[in-house]
Amino acid sequence: MRTSVMEEKKAAILQEIPRLRRYARALLRDRDAADDLVQDCLERALLRMDNWRTGENPRRWLFTIMHHLFIDQMRKVNRRGEATMLPLDAGEALATPAMQSESVASREIIDALQAISPDRRAALVMVAIEGFSYAEAAMMLGVPAGTLMSRIARGREELRGLLDDQARRRTIRIVEK
Amino acid sequence: MSARAFTDRDIHLALDGELPEDERAAYQAWLEANPDMKARSQRYAADNSALRDVFAGVLDENIPSRLEAAINGEAPKRKEAPQRWRMAAAAALLVAGGLGGYFAGASVHGSDPDDDDRMAQLAIAAHQTFAADKNRPVEVDGSDQAYLTGWLSKRTGLKLVAPDLSNNGFKLLGGRLVPANGSTAALMLYADAEGNRISVYVTTEGTERSKGTVTLASGGPEAVYWQDKGYGCVIVGTLPAEQMGVVAKDAYKQLIAGAGMARS
Repeated sequence: MRTSVMEEKKAAILQEIPRLRRYARALLRDRDAADDLVQDCLERALLRMDNWRTGENPRRWLFTIMHHLFIDQMRKVNRRGEATMLPLDAGEALATPAMQSESVASREIIDALQAISPDRRAALVMVAIEGFSYAEAAMMLGVPAGTLMSRIARGREELRGLLDDQARRRTIRIVEK
Repeated sequence: MSARAFTDRDIHLALDGELPEDERAAYQAWLEANPDMKARSQRYAADNSALRDVFAGVLDENIPSRLEAAINGEAPKRKEAPQRWRMAAAAALLVAGGLGGYFAGASVHGSDPDDDDRMAQLAIAAHQTFAADKNRPVEVDGSDQAYLTGWLSKRTGLKLVAPDLSNNGFKLLGGRLVPANGSTAALMLYADAEGNRISVYVTTEGTERSKGTVTLASGGPEAVYWQDKGYGCVIVGTLPAEQMGVVAKDAYKQLIAGAGMARS
């Protein structure tokens, strides 16, 4: 590969980092963990640079790579069993808010997003936050359009259910005071 | 051109800009005519903008130098505890377990999210076929509950109880066997004094832990489902949403208690 082409590609990838970081943050919440995922994605992209043709927008290519890294890992975690897999400091990380200056409302929605299934979370984030079309998201997630629609619908319902539940418990706490 | 029938699915399409241009006016009219659906659409729209707002700031953050370095193949050493994001992924599962209480039907075992849809659709089909039958809605009536649940348990391979829904005004009519997705499901039918009927559909389906509601047609029956490893349960009926939720939870609690499944 000619050096100039390589440089062009690297510059194009650099442009996508803010979007990749946002997607990772929405998937994982914790800032450092999200950046680790982005780093894994960039390293893998670099190894597979030949798969990406010049002139093609790198966004979908990079999102696809990152999504696969994320979902493979979630599956492994599931197979091993969540309790045994959990290292000690993951629990500590939970106790520390990932983002400073979070309001109660934003913390609630971030918590709720983390609590929905990874497949649904990824689909919802791609469409609702990243603004991809259903066709684009289905392609990147590697699922049929119908499955994607189902994930979005179920994901939104689940998210709303969790938020309603949080609001209800907050009301109860206030009443108890 | 006559307007097609819209469903709650169209709320998502409209919200995500996927509704065809020439259907938008009819969709808007449908929303105006269905205050429930309009309210739902507004809640989802608000959630959408909240999600976007919460993560908008990430785009303005400086790019960490280690990521720029990674592009140049100069992968910097990470802090100890490699693969923090993997731990965060595991932590997310823990949150899912602790957060939702009752509502944490939040599926933490991400498998095929279409399974629960299929289960709910079969339950709705069974409800529409049998609950509507005035004369013979059930195979075995509810007068001998022990016999009924014994028979259904044996055929489905589940430890079944017939939930007592009398607090909600519903009395057990009886039950029958219906097809499930690759197995057999138990369908128990209930009626209240006004003649409203609800179905409780239980099957061995389900690897993913999830919860949700499905409505296939506007004004059609609503299905509230729960799914957990090897246990799927759907409550179907045409009741006001609030009442439907209360009855469904009551039935589900009794079912899992009867099956000996502890649920925090």
